[in-house]
Amino acid sequence: MPSASLINSPMFSWLLGYEAKRKLLLKKAPAGVLHDFLSVPLPNINTPIDKVAILAVDFETTGLNAKQDKLLSVGYITLQQQQISLKSSYHQIIKSKAQLEESNVIIHHITDSQKEQGQALATVVASLLQALAGKVMLVHFARIEKQFLTEACYELYGMAPSFPMIDTLALAKRRLDKRDVAYDPSELRLASLRHKIQLPEHHGHNALNDAIATAELFMAQMSKVNKDGKITLKDVLL
Amino acid sequence: MTGQNMATELSEISTFIHSIPPFDSLPKQVLAQLVRELTINYVRKGDYLPPKGVNEPRLYILRKGAISCLSSDGELVSRLGEGDLCDAFYHHDEQTLSNSKITSESPLQVQTDEDCLLYSVKAAVLDEIGARFPSISDYFSQNSAQRLKNKMSQVNEEAILSSTLMNTAVSNFYQSPIASINAEKTIQQAAMQMNEEGYSCLVVIDKENPVGIVTDKDIRRRCVATGLATSAAISEIMTRDMYTIEVKSNAYDALMMMTAKHIHHLPVTRHDQLVGMVTVTDLINNEGHNAINLSSIIHKARTIAELKEISQLLPKLQIRLAKLGSSADHVGKSISAITMAFTKRLIAMAEYKYGQAPVPYAWLAAGSQARQEQLAHSDQDNAIIICNSMKPYDDAWFESLATFVCDGLAECGFIYCPGDIMATNPKWRQPQKMWHKYFTDWVETPSPKALLNSSIFFDLETVYGDVSLLNQVRKKLLHKTQNNTLFIAHLTKNALNLRPPLGFFRDFVLKQNGKHRATLDLKNNGIAPVVDLARIYALSEGISAVNTIERIQQAAGTPSLSKESAENLIDAYEFLGMLRVEHQAKELMRGKSADNFLSPKEISKLEQGHLKDAFKVIKNLQDARQSSY
Repeated sequence: MPSASLINSPMFSWLLGYEAKRKLLLKKAPAGVLHDFLSVPLPNINTPIDKVAILAVDFETTGLNAKQDKLLSVGYITLQQQQISLKSSYHQIIKSKAQLEESNVIIHHITDSQKEQGQALATVVASLLQALAGKVMLVHFARIEKQFLTEACYELYGMAPSFPMIDTLALAKRRLDKRDVAYDPSELRLASLRHKIQLPEHHGHNALNDAIATAELFMAQMSKVNKDGKITLKDVLL
Repeated sequence: MTGQNMATELSEISTFIHSIPPFDSLPKQVLAQLVRELTINYVRKGDYLPPKGVNEPRLYILRKGAISCLSSDGELVSRLGEGDLCDAFYHHDEQTLSNSKITSESPLQVQTDEDCLLYSVKAAVLDEIGARFPSISDYFSQNSAQRLKNKMSQVNEEAILSSTLMNTAVSNFYQSPIASINAEKTIQQAAMQMNEEGYSCLVVIDKENPVGIVTDKDIRRRCVATGLATSAAISEIMTRDMYTIEVKSNAYDALMMMTAKHIHHLPVTRHDQLVGMVTVTDLINNEGHNAINLSSIIHKARTIAELKEISQLLPKLQIRLAKLGSSADHVGKSISAITMAFTKRLIAMAEYKYGQAPVPYAWLAAGSQARQEQLAHSDQDNAIIICNSMKPYDDAWFESLATFVCDGLAECGFIYCPGDIMATNPKWRQPQKMWHKYFTDWVETPSPKALLNSSIFFDLETVYGDVSLLNQVRKKLLHKTQNNTLFIAHLTKNALNLRPPLGFFRDFVLKQNGKHRATLDLKNNGIAPVVDLARIYALSEGISAVNTIERIQQAAGTPSLSKESAENLIDAYEFLGMLRVEHQAKELMRGKSADNFLSPKEISKLEQGHLKDAFKVIKNLQDARQSSY
């Protein structure tokens, strides 16, 4: 039986695929939130993308380093049968003792006093995992969500699943790279990409707003490339 | 949704929804409840609503993009944009919806014109909110009834305005056989062939296959203007991507295609084989029947209220004609014909009401209507000429007639003449001998002031009644004017008060008053000077025509006007008229009243250049008139 760290090694991921990994890890997971999450099968990678249940997720953090920085807030919303239901939306600020850095407070509009009203990391991650069970995670710029969620899982459960993810930034980048024309990396920002395909302006740096904005962007991206409905999950998976 | 921040987290969407009636009347908490019931869909351009997989009745709110609602026969009913509500799939009655689903006879087809981001809410949710907040339920019940009414009247209007082309196949219009040229021939050879055969468009053939199309315009634009040698191959300047239309299609589709693609010639195919060519001109000439359609409806109207309703189609007809690229001349003739029909119908109603006229008479149109240069809803200028046998007490009948007709015209949107040049004014409701005297006085003892007010009477036409009454007056008048240089001099002096603003684009000699700042008065600074010149030519040469272009054409080659100048003047006049018609169509489409004030920004650099040229032509001819006295 491989250890949890081995399961998460890149070599192993490549060999195994996330569904096999889920089954492996399920056997080791203690009863509770993580076990519940792992017990729901993930969509087959050959499922047409229109039929895949997706959870658009966004984190606001105190910085870019998951080892040092803290999660500030989590927002998510489901994208299912090609529609976003606002009823499924979730936004929560996380209570933490970490000192808020002034520069980030300005960006995220979360002040220390607001943060005191937040909920514990365990509660918020539990809600997220519950909503994410059986779904594929959709993010813009996957590194942040991937590393912070993995880190939080290690902290809370001592092990972390591998999360199948779709990254709207990576999809856009793939398209731009294919054109073989130089572009400014700022073109890949969520707001720039939305502006380019004429989606409405959105108020960024709120985890839920960004999650909705990402889900809308993904719908728009798919509407451009998936006219015949032939795109499957594996075509867009990170 | 959890968390204390619910209201702020979805604040963007809430703010958007809150800005749209009737949701602007909802309290914050209910609005928040509504917002969390929304779903978001993305529908790509050209797809239909409802989005795939949505079956229950919903109200759609357009967040971004544009959609068209079409009736079952494909007529455009409404076009919606950002912030608009689409209730085509919002039925209170579930039964209706399921029925329409089964028979697929949804009363409206809703198609996206652009990629759309849509919010939607289940009808059941909205009904539940509506039960507590009547402003919501009222809005939707009222609105659908209203919208249906609007839709019906719109569909009827469309039918009236386009019935001829809608019901006619392209096969009735196309010219056959098609004129073609080999791809290896030169541009000059193509031009020669066009001249010889009288075609303005050739299909280019390469090894028996059609490969493109070339028009006289292409020769001008892509060869002459760019300095390309006329010995170059015709394939150099042809348009390669050729649009075609199947012979079975209706003429309206052909016209719409040509309008959309900005092309004037459209090859017609039968089973992909070229069989002929249809041109915009062929179709527009047919559009003239619109005026006939409308006239026949006007003729059937029984009340002034009915006439009033029909009159509301006039601006739409003008817009349509302008969009089709009709010349100002054609628009003016169509609108004038319809005004004439209104007037005749009102006279018939008056004669029915007040009995037969006591003595013969004629109802006269003056000014732009007489010249057949009227645009939608201009002011009325009219007069009555009565047989000399009238007795003083007969005037009561004519006064009743004048009042009835002028009031009726005003009801139909033809505002009362500000200068009181109307048959209701006793001065302009006179027996023939008085009219003789008026004209004799004006011509023999002209004063510039008197002429300014009365020059409108030099453009008169009979609308109804005894044509000989006016013809006799005109004959005498022309005989006098032709030899009276003093009169012509006065008339010229008057006319020269209106000068084209030659420095329009350089010195900005623009209208500086009020809301028309920095605009050009197309009518007074451009069109009126030409009309005035044409009138002077007509009166000095004894020409009886009143239409400006006809006057200039008939004056061409007389001592008053050289043939070349006449051609230039007609070009200038038609160009100004086109600018005016296009400008007014834009204004009318925006729901504004049509005016004559053109902003330089409205037109392209090229058109600005043409405008300068047009002004120069007019000024030169004005100067020529001036120096001859």
